[in-house]
This record gives sequence, C-alpha cells and structure tokens, in this order.
Amino acid sequence: MKNKLQFQWVPAVLFGALALAPNIAFAQDMRGWRETAFVPTPQGEWNGPRLPDGQPDISGHWSNTIGNHNNLTDPQGPLGADDEGPPRENPRSNARQPKPRSERAPSRLSDPADGQVPFQPWARAKQQEFLKYLNNPIKPEYVEPFARCAPGGPSKSFMWHGYEIRQFPGYVVFLFDSGNRVIHLDGKPHLPENLKLWNGDSRGRWEGNTLVVDTTNNNSKARLGRTGEFVSENATVQERIVFDPSGDRFTYNATYTDPTVLTRTFTITIPNRRVTDKTPVDDWNNLTFPAKHAGKEPIIEGYERICTEGNGNHGQVVAVSK
Amino acid sequence: MKVRQTAVQSFVAVLGLALTGAVGVAQTPPAGSNIPRGADGKPDFSGIWQSLSGADYGLEPHLATKDDPPGAGVVEGKVIPYRPEALQQRAKNFATRATADPRHKCFTLGTPRGIYGNEPFQIFQRPRDLTLFFEFGHPVRTINTNGTEHPDGHIDFWLGDSRGHWEGDTLVVDVTDFNGETWLDRVGNFNSDALHLVERWSYVDRNTIRYRATFDDPKTYTKPWSLEVLLYRRLEANVQIIENYCATLDFDEYYPVPPSGGQR
Repeated sequence: MKNKLQFQWVPAVLFGALALAPNIAFAQDMRGWRETAFVPTPQGEWNGPRLPDGQPDISGHWSNTIGNHNNLTDPQGPLGADDEGPPRENPRSNARQPKPRSERAPSRLSDPADGQVPFQPWARAKQQEFLKYLNNPIKPEYVEPFARCAPGGPSKSFMWHGYEIRQFPGYVVFLFDSGNRVIHLDGKPHLPENLKLWNGDSRGRWEGNTLVVDTTNNNSKARLGRTGEFVSENATVQERIVFDPSGDRFTYNATYTDPTVLTRTFTITIPNRRVTDKTPVDDWNNLTFPAKHAGKEPIIEGYERICTEGNGNHGQVVAVSK
Repeated sequence: MKVRQTAVQSFVAVLGLALTGAVGVAQTPPAGSNIPRGADGKPDFSGIWQSLSGADYGLEPHLATKDDPPGAGVVEGKVIPYRPEALQQRAKNFATRATADPRHKCFTLGTPRGIYGNEPFQIFQRPRDLTLFFEFGHPVRTINTNGTEHPDGHIDFWLGDSRGHWEGDTLVVDVTDFNGETWLDRVGNFNSDALHLVERWSYVDRNTIRYRATFDDPKTYTKPWSLEVLLYRRLEANVQIIENYCATLDFDEYYPVPPSGGQR
C-alpha cells in the first residue's frame, strides 16, 4: 500500500537489498564498520554492567561484521555478496571481481586448519550437488530452506541480519531476523530427544565472560550456508560465545559433533559487534530505528520480524565464478 | 487479626459477581501484595501463560460443532457490533474458514488472538518492556513500557505496535499499526488495519491474569467493544515453549539430508 512502510520482510526484498545495496549504503556508510578480518575478542574480566542476577549485561543490538551466509568457507569470496571489493559497475550484474583470497576474510571454520568442513565423501558430494543446483533448484530439496522463511539454525542466524539479545533472570533470548531462540540458564533438562527443532533446544551457563550453550534436539534442516554445507539430525552443537570485557564485541564459536556426516568435529567462528545509535543504518547489519519519545537520550529499537508468505525466487545470488 | 467478612460485604461481592457475569469472568478482590513484583515494584508477569476460555473457537456465544466445543462467549454484550458490510465479510469468512483462517496458512495469529489462542506463550519482563514469545509460529511481540510512542505513519505489523504504561497495578497497552490480515478466532471474526486496541493486564492472583481488550475499529465496527479472558500460569515441571514454525511443515519432508545421502 502506498505510503505504508512494509516491515514484513520477505526474502525477495532481502535479496533485492543484498544485490543493490553495496553501491548505495554499504560503500558509503558501512565501510569501516564492516570488517575484512576477524578482530580478536580482548580477554579480561568483565568490567561492564551486570544484571541483578549476576549475568554480564550483554543485552542490546548486535551484528556479524563480515559477509553473510552466502559462502561458509570464503565469506567474502565469489559467492559472497559482501560490501568489500570494488563497487560493481552495473548493480544488477553479479560480475564483481573479488579481491585475492589472501586479502579476504578467512573461512568461517576456524577448525580444522584448512577451513573446510570435514565431510565424509558422500556428504561432500551432496554439498557439491546443493551448490550446483542452488540457482536452479530442480528438486524441492535443492531450495535452501532459509529462502522459504525457515529459521537459520543455531549458527547461520548469526551470519544474517543484525539481531537483538535480551536477558532475563534464567534466560538469554536471541531475536533473529528469521526465527528466535531462548537459551535456558535454569538447568532445566533438555526436551525429549525425539523432538527435533530448527533452532534446537539450548541450555546455557555463564563462565566468566563466556556464554556456553549446549544445543541438542537439532533437526538440522537448515543449511550452514548457501554453499550447501549441512549436518545431520544426530549433530550436537556446543557454542562458546566469548564477550570482550566491555561488551562491545563477541566471538561466536560453535563446535559441531556429528559422526553421521563428519570425519571429525569442526568449529564455526563468527565475529560480532554491538550496534548502537551511532552505527550507520544500512537495513542490513543495523536494522534498528530511533524510537519516538519526548526525552533527549537516543533509544533505538527493532521492529517486528516475521517472515511469511510472498517468497520471491531464490536465484538472486551472486553467480559462482572462477 | 483477620477481619470477618460481614453480611453486607458478602452481598456486595455476590452482587458484583452477578453484574459481571455477562463477561464470564468473576471479579475478585484486588490481588494486593501477594503477586510477583519486579525490582521497580511493578507487577511482574514473567511466566508461561495460556487461556482456557475457548475464545479461539468463537468469541461470541456458540454451540458445538463436530470440530469445536461450545462456549458462552467472551464478548461484553455477547455480540460484536459489526457494520453491515463487515457482517457480510464475517459470513464469508465463516463459510470458507477451513482454508481461509490465517491459522491454517500458519500466519502469525496476531493481537489479541495470540493471547487467547490454544497454545501457550511466555512473557519475559524488564522495566523497559515485556517480551511475549508465542509458541504458534514462534514470533515475538514487544510491549514497550519505556515512555516511547507509536512510530509516525502507519506500519503494517502482524502483531501491531504496542506501547504500555502502568495505572496502579494494571498494565495498559495501546496497540496500533495492524496489517488487517489476521482473524480474531476460528469462525471468521476479524478486524481491519484501522484497529486501535487497548489492553488491560492485571493480576487476579499470582497465577491468574485478567486480560481485557477493547476494540475500536470504525472500518469494521459501529462502536467500540470489549472482551475479557483469564490467563492461567502453566505450572507443569517440564512446561516449555517449543518452537512451532508451522509455516515450515509444508516443506518439512524435503529436509534434512537423508543419512548417507540416500535419495528421497
């Protein structure tokens, strides 16, 4: 409807923004905020505020700083539509030349050392099949479920848009752009193991500045990236979310164990940074808006994120190039 | 020392019950101090809640069908004061409800249907806001209680834009910016995007919330009207909001990858 803002985020809109935005908002505003390398999380005792129940207060808006979920092992690579690299001459063209691999961000996999998922041979073949048919999904299972408004799963949610963390006694709650997640800190037993969920069933605890989360009951229907990496229903995930002492950054580490698909464990590492009222608004990393109020202090808030019907086609991604 | 209830007090209480009986929710003495409170002294609604009102089967008084139980209704004055053309739309909704109910499309139930729908929801509360976490569709509604106002213009939200304030121990929430794509129950009662909803949340006792919602929508109704339900705290030891991404069920069979990569 004319003059109405549409905040019903559908993938068509998102992918459209992804394709067009680098020339407009990212290049002018986000360069410098977004990064090309992992910034190590400084170590040290928490010196930020604490909540009454003792949790480090890490509530607020956050975002991944590098790329998105297009390419798991080369997040600023040819399949990764990131803001880095020279602007495209034609924003509708996918022919942007990436920087050399050595100048791009490392693989999301910090372990093993080669940055690749330690797949069993059949699983590697399957991943290659998904990649081959990403833009030509001739079977339903080739459609990346994220394009159907499915949740991203434990790790991929952190590679997508900016998101919000809220904390309460006994809980840390993540409000992602596509799906939401409650981390129980209350020691409650996991759900019965036959209940498999998109975002799994999460139990966490604080170890100093690190939020340690055991995520079971994974249905593993979400892919780990648009490059087709996946795990099975037997996967368990241990996440170690390490905050810096002042709460400006955190490093997300997720170690996957899955004998059905893997030859050994692997760890996904994603750098994240706090989004504040000073962060440029790009409708990507920073999806917040200034709240309307009579006071002078800046208050930012995120609007409702509900992905429903209205999917556009799935193919609007950067083509695989040599 | 406990003061005995006098005959007059009893009479007043019974009279009160009789007068409010139309809504189906008996008035009880103010919850007073025996309710959970936050550090700011305000009532703390944190917990998992669910309505037993059956309102989702039909807001107005209705008899049973093969699918749904009967109900005495939750609407003050029994019937919703529809405009004539809106009444026609409701009849159309009713006739096509098996497919047209947004619930069957796995759309977010909306506000207030998500509150009295048949699945539980969890409230997380901070002084600045309340986070309502619904099981059906797993969406989150925020009720801001930090003095902020509705954004300018009209925004189409599934759950509306909620700004609350406290009147004593009652949370009063002003909700606007609806998308008009949700229904109010399974039998086709509905509102438009012009709805202005005012909710009143208050404790009856520490495990019961009285929820009252007043609807003002000149595009749909001839005058404002109200409904009232009670919400009960879920106390089972293993109760937990379990994600119900209903919209994913249509393509559930295609994922995950079968073991050893076998074909489907």
